[in-house]
Amino acid sequence: MSAGRGVAGRRRAAVELAPQRGPQPAAAAGANAVLAAGRRFRNILTVLRFAAATGFADFGTMFTWRSWTIGWLSRVLCQVTFFALIGRLLGAPEAVRYLLIGNAVLIAVLESAFVVASTTWERRAGTLPLLIAAPTSPVLVFCGRSVQWIASGTASASVALFVLSPLFGVALPMPQALVAVPLIGLVSLSAYCLGLVLAGLVLRVMQLRNVVGNVTWMVIALLAGVQVPVTFWPAWVQAASAVLPARNGLAGIRALLDGDGVGAVCSAAGLEALVAVGWLAVAGLIFRHLAEQGRRDGSIEFVD
Amino acid sequence: MRVLLAAARLQLATFRRSPDDLMVLLTVPLFTPIFLVIAKHAGRLDLAPYAVLAPGIIAMLSMALNTSGEIIERDRWGGTFELTLATPARLPVIVLGRVATVTLASLLGIAESWLVAYLMFGIAVPVLHPGAFVLTLTATAIATAGTAVVFAAVFVWTRSARTFQNSLSYPLLLLGGALVPVALLPEPLHPISRAVYLSWAADLLRASLAPGPVSALWPRLGIVVGLGAVGYVIGFALLRWVIHRARTTGKVGYA
Repeated sequence: MSAGRGVAGRRRAAVELAPQRGPQPAAAAGANAVLAAGRRFRNILTVLRFAAATGFADFGTMFTWRSWTIGWLSRVLCQVTFFALIGRLLGAPEAVRYLLIGNAVLIAVLESAFVVASTTWERRAGTLPLLIAAPTSPVLVFCGRSVQWIASGTASASVALFVLSPLFGVALPMPQALVAVPLIGLVSLSAYCLGLVLAGLVLRVMQLRNVVGNVTWMVIALLAGVQVPVTFWPAWVQAASAVLPARNGLAGIRALLDGDGVGAVCSAAGLEALVAVGWLAVAGLIFRHLAEQGRRDGSIEFVD
Repeated sequence: MRVLLAAARLQLATFRRSPDDLMVLLTVPLFTPIFLVIAKHAGRLDLAPYAVLAPGIIAMLSMALNTSGEIIERDRWGGTFELTLATPARLPVIVLGRVATVTLASLLGIAESWLVAYLMFGIAVPVLHPGAFVLTLTATAIATAGTAVVFAAVFVWTRSARTFQNSLSYPLLLLGGALVPVALLPEPLHPISRAVYLSWAADLLRASLAPGPVSALWPRLGIVVGLGAVGYVIGFALLRWVIHRARTTGKVGYA
C-alpha cells in the first residue's frame, strides 16, 4: 500500500521517515523503528476489528439467535444426520462413525465457503472504490470482512459433532475430544483462506459467487477424506488434494478422536495451518492484482 | 394457456440471465460421485441405484426451494411485481407456469446423475420398470411444483426467507428419504415422514429400479399426487392471501 496517499498515509510516512532526519544514536533509531512497527501492527488490528464488526453486523441482520438455532442449526444437524445414516444403510457401524465425524467437520468448510458470496456484497454495495482509495490495504479489509463465517462454522460443526455422536452411538473420548473444537476452528480458517482466493477471482464475475462457493465445499467433501479415506483415490488425486483445506485438519481430528498420539494430531494441525498460510498469501496477491488492475483499466467500479 | 406459456418463456429467459438458478445442475455431478464412492468404498455397489437416484431428487427439491421459492420475492426486488399484479393475467397462473418450468428443468438432474455415474465409474443403472419409473417421475414433478407454489408464497412473508430456504433443504431430504429409506429413520419420525410426498415418491422410484415387482403402484402414486394436490390448494390459498395483503397494505413492492 502506498504510504503517500491520504492524510493518514502522509502521517504514517512522516513517522517512517523520522529516523532519517538527522544523526541519531542507534538505540533511538531502533526504538523509533519498533514504535513505527508497533503502530502499523495496531493499525492492522484496528482495520481487521472494524472489518469483522461489519461482518458480524451483516450476520446479525441475517440471523437472530432463534433463526440461527432453530433454522440454521437444525439444517446442519439434518445434513450431518443425512450422511451418517448412509453408514446405517451400508450396515457398517465404522462407516457411521467415519461419515458422522467427516460431515460434521465439513460444516465448518461449508460455512467458510460463504466468504466467496459475502465478499461480493462489498462490491454490490459500491464500497470497493472507497476501499481501494483508502490508505490501508483492501486485503486486510476482506480478510476481516467475513470472519463471522469462521465463528458460526466452528460453532455449528462442533455442535453437530458433540450432539449427534451420542445419538448415533459414536464414542468420543472426553475430555480430550474437546480439543476438536480448536481444530475445527483451524479447518474453518484454512477453508476461509481458500475462499478468499476464490472471492478475489469471483469479484470479476459475481454471478458465479454461489456456484463457486458450493462447488468448493463439495470438491472438498469428495476429495479431502470426508466421505472416504484419501487413500481411496489414485496417487495423483491424493497429491493434488494435499493443498485442500480440511484434508490435514480432519485427519488430525480423526487421530484425536481415535486416541492416537499427540504427535499425529499436532503434525496434522501444523500442515493444516501451513495450507491456510499458503492460501492467505495467494489471496493477498490476488486482491493486490485486483486493485492494481482496477486502477489501471477503471474496472474497480461495479461492473456486473 | 397463453399466460402459462408466457410465464414459462419468462422463466427460460430468467435462466439465461441468472446462472444461480441452475446452480443445482452444476452441483449434481458432485453429489453423484460423493454417494457412489461411499458405496464403492464399503463394497456395496448393489446400492448404486440409491446413489444415482438421490442427486436427481436433491436437484428437484433444491430448485423448488431456491429457484421457484424466490419467484415472487425477486419480482418484488426487481420492481416488476406491481406491474404483474396490474395485468389482467392471474398471478397464480403466472406462478404456476414459472414453477412448472423450473421443475421441468430440475428433471435434467436425474439424467445428469445417470450420465456422471456411467462416465466416471462405468456404472449403468438399468431402469427395470420403465413404466412405473416414468409415471412416478411425472407424479413427483407435479407434486414438487405444487410444493414449490407453497414455498413461493411463504417466502414472501418473511424478510429472513433465505434463512428458511437454506434451512429447509436437508430436513426435507431426510424426511423424504431421498437417499436413505424412511424405514431407517427413527420410529417417531415415520408419521411425519409419511406426510411428505417425497418419501412415497423416493420409495417408488427406488422400487422401479429394483428387480422385484413394484407393489401397490397405483395407490402409492395416488398418495404422491394427493399430497401434491394438497400443496396446490395451500399454495394457491396463500397466494390469494399474499395478493390481498399486498394490495390492502400498499406493500406490493419495496421502497
